[in-house]
Amino acid sequence: MSKRKMFLRMITASLLRRRSRMLIALLSIAIGATILSGLVTIYYDVPRQMGAQFRSYGANMILLAKEGESLTTDTLQDALSVIPEDQLVGATPYRYVRLDMTSRQQSFTTAGTDFAEVQKTSPYFSVEGEYPQAAEEILLGKEIADTIGAKVGSYIQLTWRPVVTVHENASDDWVPNAKLSGSAEGFNAGIVVVEATLDDEGKIATLEIDASSQTPEIGGQVETDRNFISRFIGQSLPVSLGEDVDAVSGATISSQAVVDALNNARSTAKGSAAAERSGYFNVTGILVTGGEEESYIYMNLKDLEGLTNDNLLDVAELSVSANAEQLEEYAKAIDGSDAGITARLVKRVTRSETAVLGKLQALVFLVTVVVLLLTMICVSTTMMAVVSERRREIGLRKALGAPDSSIRAEFLGEGMFLGGLGGLLGGLLGFVFAQVVSVNVFGSSITFQPLLLPITLLVSMLIAAVSCLLPIKRAVAIDPALVLKGE
Amino acid sequence: MSLLELKGVSKIYGDLKALDNVNIHVDKGEWVAIMGPSGSGKSTMMNIIGCMDKPSTGEVLLDGVDISKESSKALTDIRRDKIGLVFQQFHMVNYLTAVENVMVSQYYHSMPDEEEALEALGRVGLRERAKHLPSQLSGGEQQRVCVARALINHPELILADEPTGNLDEANENIVLDLFRQLHDEGTTLIVVTHDPEVAEAAQRTIVLEHGRVAREVINENFGK
Ligand SMILES: Nc1ncnc2c1ncn2[C@@H]1O[C@H](COP(=O)(O)OP(=O)(O)OP(=O)(O)O)[C@@H](O)[C@H]1O
Ligand SMILES: [Mg+2]
Repeated sequence: MSKRKMFLRMITASLLRRRSRMLIALLSIAIGATILSGLVTIYYDVPRQMGAQFRSYGANMILLAKEGESLTTDTLQDALSVIPEDQLVGATPYRYVRLDMTSRQQSFTTAGTDFAEVQKTSPYFSVEGEYPQAAEEILLGKEIADTIGAKVGSYIQLTWRPVVTVHENASDDWVPNAKLSGSAEGFNAGIVVVEATLDDEGKIATLEIDASSQTPEIGGQVETDRNFISRFIGQSLPVSLGEDVDAVSGATISSQAVVDALNNARSTAKGSAAAERSGYFNVTGILVTGGEEESYIYMNLKDLEGLTNDNLLDVAELSVSANAEQLEEYAKAIDGSDAGITARLVKRVTRSETAVLGKLQALVFLVTVVVLLLTMICVSTTMMAVVSERRREIGLRKALGAPDSSIRAEFLGEGMFLGGLGGLLGGLLGFVFAQVVSVNVFGSSITFQPLLLPITLLVSMLIAAVSCLLPIKRAVAIDPALVLKGE
Repeated sequence: MSLLELKGVSKIYGDLKALDNVNIHVDKGEWVAIMGPSGSGKSTMMNIIGCMDKPSTGEVLLDGVDISKESSKALTDIRRDKIGLVFQQFHMVNYLTAVENVMVSQYYHSMPDEEEALEALGRVGLRERAKHLPSQLSGGEQQRVCVARALINHPELILADEPTGNLDEANENIVLDLFRQLHDEGTTLIVVTHDPEVAEAAQRTIVLEHGRVAREVINENFGK
């Protein structure tokens, strides 16, 4: 039999046949290792977990069309391909349009969106009733619901009016002799409506402006300011504020609205005749957010597209589970791609996320260190007791000719064996521990990190070895003569 | 030829002289008994000879080497290589079986050899009990295991401190028979005992009193 085999035989015999004491040491190592591996698992999982938590505070990235480009469902998909699927919590498209509520002769901003995604990017939305699921179902902002006295289950007729009513002569590229009418949003969401006639060269011949929605003494001046209006006459569409015409001083927004309304009228007039379209919608829920969302109507993007007959989007809100640097990277990638989309980060959320994460990880780290120290003290104390319990045996071994190195090796061997066993046990239990914590605190499960098991094993053995140093010193100092003399 | 020689050895604890100017010499292959009242310094002397303790003054020559001057590491080596110990209390490693206890001695000396260890147990009549733990053995059986352990490495010198003190007649005889065999094989034996019968088995008896050699008695009947 080799010396090593005898060495192992002695250690295992010591551990197996002297169970009770060793169980305590084993238990303390196992518990230490459990907490160690559990906390480390959580430590590495916290960013993911916290990320998901922070996602509940809303989107952290906004996608918009670049100047001169348009955002559509297709270009949005192109942009999203930049972000790895498992990091994309949700991507919600929004299209904002004013729709008329037939019964009230009042228009409301209506957002076409994807309700499944809304629930991911805006989890703080609270809905009385339910989110729409089928077609022709809508969500009413609480403010609107209160104004019009609508409830869950109400039916509402909504009408999309094209911003331009096209003259019968409308055709081709430009529109000679046309009578155009268009509208655009001016100051404070008020709609400015224009009516113009074109001469046979397609230049503006007459122009009438309805700016009654604007503040009378300020924006309202665009209706009456002859200087302003006369500058339009003879211009070809599209016109541009500041170049072709100057704004009424102090009323830039309303002036811009007039220009926009004219240009809107012209661009839509070029297409086929746009008729107004309407539908009946079932209110399935009232949206309560405490914010501006309460003054909107939300409907399925498909329903809205059915009304407007196009597939344009205004904005997409993204919730991405990534740290600040990664987000920055994704935003750059999207900007650089040829989807014609620009990405903006919602900084407030990502910054505080990083700060809180840092503190949390520091805390977990601290607790881990304390637990390791406690484990070490516990194991050391137990091994100390083991040494004094085995004084006679150690004395005997020395009397039989055991050199100090052998005594050291035997205790270290036992300690490391315990450390290994405890580490293995703790590594497995630690995963269970982390899982329980994760499920209870974060409400989601974690993945098992196979690498953590050998690491826990090694750390436990190291801790056991360090814990054994003092007890071993004691053991080596035992005088065989004194011990063997009897007592 | 002399194996062991104590020259003016004293061991002083405070103002107590456990050993007081002891001079002894033991030849190779000799079998010596040590007797004396309790507290006369027998165990103290055995510990010094067994390289587990050092004298306060004096020289201890073992195989020509003055062990009173050696480092404790060197003493451990000498003890391991030359000496087999049997104690009054049967000291066994309590979580190892009989055969494993014998193998521990081999392990520190050279190579553990289970066959040889079993043979040694056979010599003390305990081959069938090889797999038993100390707690499953009687006092006499444990002491026999200790004897087997002491002789497993073929030491030049066997030191036994009251090896039969706690044994019954039958076990005492087994142990004495073993000593006779060892003596016949040329092993030097020093046996501390209170039992005149055990002392009579030896060639010579040294009597200690108050840490001094009171007298030496040659056993005329040895070998008869
Ligand atoms: N470490 C020590 N410190 C102080 N005194 C000691 C020590 N060891 C032994 N003595 C004393 O030395 C004397 C001799 O002790 P020793 O053990 O050698 O006696 P002994 O002859 O073996 O007795 P016994 O027959 O009872 O075993 C005793 O008086 C004892 O009290
Ligand atoms: Mg004694």
